[in-house]
Amino acid sequence: MQSKLNVFLLIIFTSSVFCQVENLKWRKADFSYEKQIHSSKRDYSFESENAGEFLTKSFTNAYWFFISDVDGDNCPFRPTCSTFFLQSAKETNIFQASLMFFDRFTRDMNIAKGHDHYPRVSAGYYYDPPQNYTLNQGRINYLPPAFIVDDE
Amino acid sequence: MRKYLTLFFLIPPAILSQSTSFDFHSPENIKKFADYLFCEGDYLRAIEQYELVNEKLDNDTTKFKVMLGYSALGLYNESNEIFKGINDKSIFYPDANFLSFKNQLISEPGMINAPSIHSFNSFQLESFSKLTNISMLYEDKFNISRENFIAPFDAEELNQVSTFYDYKVEPPHKSPALAGTLSAIIPGSGKMYVGEWGDGITSLLVTSLFAFLAYDNFRADNTTRAWVFTGLGAFFYAGNIYGSVASAQIFNARIGFEFNNGLELFLKQQNYFLPEYDFCN
Repeated sequence: MQSKLNVFLLIIFTSSVFCQVENLKWRKADFSYEKQIHSSKRDYSFESENAGEFLTKSFTNAYWFFISDVDGDNCPFRPTCSTFFLQSAKETNIFQASLMFFDRFTRDMNIAKGHDHYPRVSAGYYYDPPQNYTLNQGRINYLPPAFIVDDE
Repeated sequence: MRKYLTLFFLIPPAILSQSTSFDFHSPENIKKFADYLFCEGDYLRAIEQYELVNEKLDNDTTKFKVMLGYSALGLYNESNEIFKGINDKSIFYPDANFLSFKNQLISEPGMINAPSIHSFNSFQLESFSKLTNISMLYEDKFNISRENFIAPFDAEELNQVSTFYDYKVEPPHKSPALAGTLSAIIPGSGKMYVGEWGDGITSLLVTSLFAFLAYDNFRADNTTRAWVFTGLGAFFYAGNIYGSVASAQIFNARIGFEFNNGLELFLKQQNYFLPEYDFCN
């Protein structure tokens, strides 16, 4: 009787010590479904290296403050059209940046919503950096539409 | 009962105990373990083990396997460093040499500049010619006749190789100058020429709309408003010409990207014309 009890205890003790902790294995994951506020990352300063850049920064800040922040995150591209304008001015000059911006704005308005040839960033927006539009063939970094760019 | 339990626990360890007389760390046993890892496809650990014994065994087979392992891991420069240590009298030397060409082609795409190796057999010579011809496609200067280019290839490879040749000789590029000129004549037509119909039509509509608004306001003597629309229309018009040129350049970059991708895929499918090595059966 005593030995049976010992064997029984051995089995029960082992299974209770090595048992799987189910509440750890199956507990819910802590995912956040909150959408980040895009405008919170914006730099509203007027810091610039030249007059052209100061001008574009002023235009962009005014556009962000009076229109974009109120209207919400509607641009399907990353960088957004306003940021594209700023980055273009840094890459080139204010005149070329204006041309690049008006071209981008036309592509944004595409009536057929034909954006499928752009790669995307992980958040789902179309990736369209200004480096591809400086008219310098060597700077174009072509990425296929299926490509997902890691970082915005 | 207790006696049986004691025996039950004591007998198996006594029978199955590990013998201390067995030397797990002898070079031969490390090599056996490395061979096992290599056959399992665990190249990184296999290389670690091979490198432990390579100096003691001085074995060209293990060196070649390390070279293969590094190449499979994408560490092409390391693979070619190992090649330098392989004796040119070794039976593996021609294969290792061929593998070094593959590594070179992947790490620095360009024409393989190497004289045909005298120790190559006929199969290796044929494969070497194929690899050399394909490597020419990576060069900007491409001066070889179609007959000479396709000569080393087999019937089932000919179709694809001919397509690569045609793409290289006459890539289906779009002219940025023509795209810009077309858009200057009819706004948006340059974009349509590049294949971006939606952008082209949008451009035509937007520029036409601003042109009409400017014209209408000038006619109605609303000069200020007319000049605002003229300015906006002019920027959309000029931006569209600029964008058409940029779109043609991006289109050409896409052609280059797809060509290189197709070439890489073809070479992978052909295993860079290397034979299959079987060290595991």
